[in-house]
Amino acid sequence: MSEQTVILDGLITFYSSHHALRAEKILKQHGLNVLLVPGPREISPNCGVALQFEYRLHPSVKTILVSNHVCFEAFHHILAESSER
Amino acid sequence: MNRDRVVYFDNAATSWPKPPQVRDVMIEYFQNAVGSPGRSGHRLSIEAGRLVLSAREAVAELFGVGDSSRIAFTKNVTEALNIVLNGWLQPGDHVITSSLEHNSVMRPLRHLEQHRGVELTVLPCCHSTGSLDPNLVLEAIRPNTRLIVMTHASNVIGNLLPIKSVGAIARAHEIPFLVDAAQTAGVVPINVEDCAIDMLAFTGHKSLLGPTGTGGLYVRPGIELPPLLRGGTGSRSELELQPDFMPDSLEAGTLNVIGLAGLAASVRFLLEYGIERVHHHEQQLVGHFLKLCQDMPHIKVYGPLDARQRIGLVSFNVDGLSPSRVALELEQSFGIMARVGLHCAPAAHKTIGTYPTGTVRFSFSIFNSLSEIDYAIEALQHIITDKSSLCLNRQSSWMD
Repeated sequence: MSEQTVILDGLITFYSSHHALRAEKILKQHGLNVLLVPGPREISPNCGVALQFEYRLHPSVKTILVSNHVCFEAFHHILAESSER
Repeated sequence: MNRDRVVYFDNAATSWPKPPQVRDVMIEYFQNAVGSPGRSGHRLSIEAGRLVLSAREAVAELFGVGDSSRIAFTKNVTEALNIVLNGWLQPGDHVITSSLEHNSVMRPLRHLEQHRGVELTVLPCCHSTGSLDPNLVLEAIRPNTRLIVMTHASNVIGNLLPIKSVGAIARAHEIPFLVDAAQTAGVVPINVEDCAIDMLAFTGHKSLLGPTGTGGLYVRPGIELPPLLRGGTGSRSELELQPDFMPDSLEAGTLNVIGLAGLAASVRFLLEYGIERVHHHEQQLVGHFLKLCQDMPHIKVYGPLDARQRIGLVSFNVDGLSPSRVALELEQSFGIMARVGLHCAPAAHKTIGTYPTGTVRFSFSIFNSLSEIDYAIEALQHIITDKSSLCLNRQSSWMD
């Protein structure tokens, strides 16, 4: 487990910005590293913001969001492009 | 008596003053750059979204709502009520309401009765106390009853209605229950689960102590309402149809972000202060007023004499003087701001027998004091003493 550098290689998209902002708040409260970013148009036409997170944590992230009434569109794993740099 | 003094007893129309925190966050809004919520991914848009979220979560906490996305913001309680009444009721549906409703409920209902074929039952409340027997609700239920809508407290009499009993009846019969909390949100503890409230309409600028132009609607999960307005939401922008998920479905167009920032601050203020404490204070004020009025035979007070059945609101009349004349004297000679007339609730005045003349209404907030009540009583004593000279003026100079 060499987790010195946190890689935010996961991206959650949402239908509504309400849920994106709540997701950010709740996941931060759980001590997770997250970052609100402009939603990539090629992935989703929705609300303008998406949330980056550590993809390896996606099962627990999903559980936290569902138990807090946060509705998301999809979880994405950001591959190749960023990891090659 | 000090003519320059301002005693504000019109908090049921809009509260004043507001907590200083409200002003502070609204000034901050202009000092800091804030974008449009939910419309872009840049940080100023996100900041605006956070302000809206903070208001939504504060309101959700206040009403015991688990999922804050079930609260949609509107410009006032009237809009919130209209969303439900216009969206939910279809031709042939039956709706039950009380005889104490404000026109924000009664006018949309009468319109739907005339133009959409909605059947309406208006339950009579007690002419002296304004109380409503929940058994009347039970008896009024028909197979096609699709909604029960009721104010939580009368904006004319100030009495509380039995929403918990009515909510239980509505839930048992699987009829959605809409509560108009215009006069009670922020004064009386409200838990939507405990009272089986399916939809709750509130305004931000009265006892929630926030700015005008803010209000909202809680909608229980499982109830989907069509919107009153359709338009941009920032979500599902690829579609030319309104999204069907809360809160976006009911929030077309840019929200009043600065107002909601103020509302978040005022609701947080109230949550910290304690809603029970607010109600206790208002009951103390109204109780003190009622007690002092007992020794004033020229004053006729309407509604229950027990302050525990009230919010901090009282309607009265002075023998031999029109309500508008009393209010004018209170304001001109004593600096006391009261509301006079029918208070946009003609049905309530018909209930207590004050239609069409109306009443003088005092409505208090946590920022009013017992000494202000004493001052108002003193002012009323002066007005009663000087009544004969006031009556002479009636011939010439003023209109009711």
